[in-house]
Amino acid sequence: MKDHDAGVVLASATTLALLPTSAFAHASDRGHVLLLPTGYYIAGGALAVAVSFLVLALLPPAVLDNFWRRRLPLFTFGDAPRILISLISFAGFALLVAAGLFGSRDPLSNPLPLVVWTLLWAGFTLLQGVLGDLWSWLNPWYGPWRVASRVFALDTAKPPRLPSWLGYWPAFALFFAFAWFELIDPAPDDPARLAFAAGLYWLVSFTAMLAFGYDGWSRRGEFLTVFFSMVARFAPFERVDGRLGLCWPGAKLLAGEPLPQSGTAFLLLALSSVSFDGLSKTFFWLGLFGINPLEYPGRTALIGIGSFGLVLTFVLLAAVFALAVILGQRLAGDKHSFGEAAGLLVWSIVPIALAYHIAHYLTVLLVDGQYALVALSDPFALGWDLFGTANRMVEAGVVAGAQSAWWLWNIQAGVIIAGHVLAVLVAHGLAWRLHKQPSRAALSQLPLTLLMIAYTIFGLWLLATPTAG
Amino acid sequence: MADKNGFFDLSKTTLTRRTALKGIAAGAGLALAPGFVRYSQAQSSAPIKIGFQSHRTGIGAAYGRWYEKTSAAAVKAINDAGGIGGRPVELVIEDDGTDPARGAEVVAKFAKQHKTDIVFGTLFSHVVIGSAPAAGENKIPYFVVSEGHHVASTKLNRYVFQPGITDVKSQIQSMAPWIAANAGKKVTQIFPDFAFGYDHRDYLPPALKAHGADVIAQIAIPPTESSFTKYFPQIPAETEVIYHVMVGPAVLTFVKELGEFYGSQRPQLFGFMDSLEATDINSPGLEFLDGSHFWEGSPRYAQANDSAAQKAYRAAVGIDDNGAAVGDPKDVSTASHMFGCWETLYVVKKAMEDAGYKGPEDRAKLVEATEALKEFAEGPEHPQGAKTFNGKIHQCFGIQNISKVEGGKLKVVHKTKIEDGLYEAEGDYTTQAL
Repeated sequence: MKDHDAGVVLASATTLALLPTSAFAHASDRGHVLLLPTGYYIAGGALAVAVSFLVLALLPPAVLDNFWRRRLPLFTFGDAPRILISLISFAGFALLVAAGLFGSRDPLSNPLPLVVWTLLWAGFTLLQGVLGDLWSWLNPWYGPWRVASRVFALDTAKPPRLPSWLGYWPAFALFFAFAWFELIDPAPDDPARLAFAAGLYWLVSFTAMLAFGYDGWSRRGEFLTVFFSMVARFAPFERVDGRLGLCWPGAKLLAGEPLPQSGTAFLLLALSSVSFDGLSKTFFWLGLFGINPLEYPGRTALIGIGSFGLVLTFVLLAAVFALAVILGQRLAGDKHSFGEAAGLLVWSIVPIALAYHIAHYLTVLLVDGQYALVALSDPFALGWDLFGTANRMVEAGVVAGAQSAWWLWNIQAGVIIAGHVLAVLVAHGLAWRLHKQPSRAALSQLPLTLLMIAYTIFGLWLLATPTAG
Repeated sequence: MADKNGFFDLSKTTLTRRTALKGIAAGAGLALAPGFVRYSQAQSSAPIKIGFQSHRTGIGAAYGRWYEKTSAAAVKAINDAGGIGGRPVELVIEDDGTDPARGAEVVAKFAKQHKTDIVFGTLFSHVVIGSAPAAGENKIPYFVVSEGHHVASTKLNRYVFQPGITDVKSQIQSMAPWIAANAGKKVTQIFPDFAFGYDHRDYLPPALKAHGADVIAQIAIPPTESSFTKYFPQIPAETEVIYHVMVGPAVLTFVKELGEFYGSQRPQLFGFMDSLEATDINSPGLEFLDGSHFWEGSPRYAQANDSAAQKAYRAAVGIDDNGAAVGDPKDVSTASHMFGCWETLYVVKKAMEDAGYKGPEDRAKLVEATEALKEFAEGPEHPQGAKTFNGKIHQCFGIQNISKVEGGKLKVVHKTKIEDGLYEAEGDYTTQAL
């Protein structure tokens, strides 16, 4: 559209905005939640987190440490199929991008947006958290990188190193761009738009992997791998030297090395962006900017406010987290550097991030997951039925009505509370690594526990408060 | 496919949402099916491409889903009966994200990239208003199913039509005679404090006055409010009817608190189904609505005296007797509005056939042929009821339903006359150049 035309359109739109309108902000499922006694849940959740802190403070650290260290070895398997699986995954990815470009224009019929946003982002994160690091096998880069390295005879043993001062900042910047695209961009579901974005991202990452080595780039640059491998540390599965074993959920977090500042920032951004996704639709947030949630103006009109909010939630969370760590260090008379303490304690954010992710995307997963099954059977809208699911009925009713709302609310609240209790548990174990004296370890955790109680309240409130849509 | 009355009976076929969206592929497949109506009359059997501007994501997604289902069912029915002018119809869906700016882009994309014959299907008023200029610039007919008064106000442009659903001004006006005669003469309005509420605030009082009733109080509730008890003391004691049009997630809370305020002694209640579209009226909190009345565009619940056309329409779209998806009883439809998609597509068919429409070069002829339409008879193509069409303001006028909540269902107790909702035209699109 030419600038002149745009001006005309804008002018006429402004005049027309004064016209009477019909509104269809419907009594959505949040309406049922508004009738539930959510206040009691919020109080109960805060209490549960506080009580778990007190119980932990009283337990001898050695008991806990022995508990966390338990492992149950299962079996051993090699890395041989990894290349093949990654190559298959890459082929699937290429097909999906083609579907995005040439398949249906409808984001609920085209498999690309459904796979990227629903199956991968909402769903696969959950799998990583439960089953461990599947992504290191399934990512669409490893196989092609190995093939390309062979073809171009690259020296994979000693690739040029990504400068260490960069830390995780490349992954941080890319994750921010991803979150912005998901939450702020006017049309991240548009199949062609997403195909360009995803295709370009694959290519850029692949090039970077050729330049800095697969490990070099995927550990600190490719944000999905960084995010997924952090989430996988929560999983009750561990693979050391090819041997798979069972461990307690979160146990691997306790063994984590302190993250550099950029890694700490990355984890906090992962949590703050999901939090902002919830916050941005609340009446409270929209009200702050004088936006009528019943007449939600659409994403384009909210780009500025959304960008501001995405940055703001990160800055606020990072500041509060830093403050909690500093205060904790003061209380305990800590000699460790702030960076080391923060970099270690930030691992306790993983269970919270995972809990937010599950609670936040549960309904999307339940409904759009069904659309994904349908779309995958006919990726190019040509009437195919590859997996026998092309004519499957999508039951949107699974998340509708008072009964579903009750179930969903209870699951979401349970997950949020459990995530925070586990976070307190992990933080406690990490603190013990910093302070061998139990009373000091407990004292150092007090401010962080307050932060976690506050975040429990915030997380439950996000799920209980009126929202647009 | 047609029963003995000549109505389409699709109840025995399995219609999935994808069936009608297969477009060219499906059209070609059907043409080869033995015994099928061949698209023989057409000079070209290339499909008529209808750009469906759909609220697939964003705040309108719950409505968008049902609009899509209804439109897919209508396209299937049209194709099964030989298409438009002998050509199959293909729906091309683009998501507007319920976003006015994106809506305008989508309309331009339909015109320039997909080269669809028309654009169709928009519900949300702000998206219609945001997209209409793009339809005008690209000279592509834009058939909306929005119920807003914006089309009839003649403040949009000559390419925008609303021939399948009555606008809100007419809906409100046509409620007045029944309210005055049956519910009470002293009416208090409770509405959300923004444009949607203002339609009701502005159009109801003069209409009631004409029938000897009065609005004695108007209570505007801030849109972000989620607790309402503090507003109820403003309701005058002599109120005989509370006319409520609250929308949004807090509707259930509103009804519950109103019930707690009044107990068993309450005035008559009259509402608009917009408040509870896609929501089960038997939800906890809504018990207080028992015995109250609602405007309904097309009845959600199957009625004892449903016409064969209405039955066939419900079966084709896939809604059960409670107005929920067949096979998914918790997925309550947007029955009061989505019929407009079905009817609009049949208006498009009629207008295209009248115009001898062949392709985008005939779009101006299509506009004129649509403007020449006068009335639509009740039947398989217009199952909601008969309508008249005012070509000067591009708006249709139909009957409305007043339903009583009874035994957990909505029972139609009154059907308005078309004349009840007619008003003086505010302008004339036909004077604008094409």
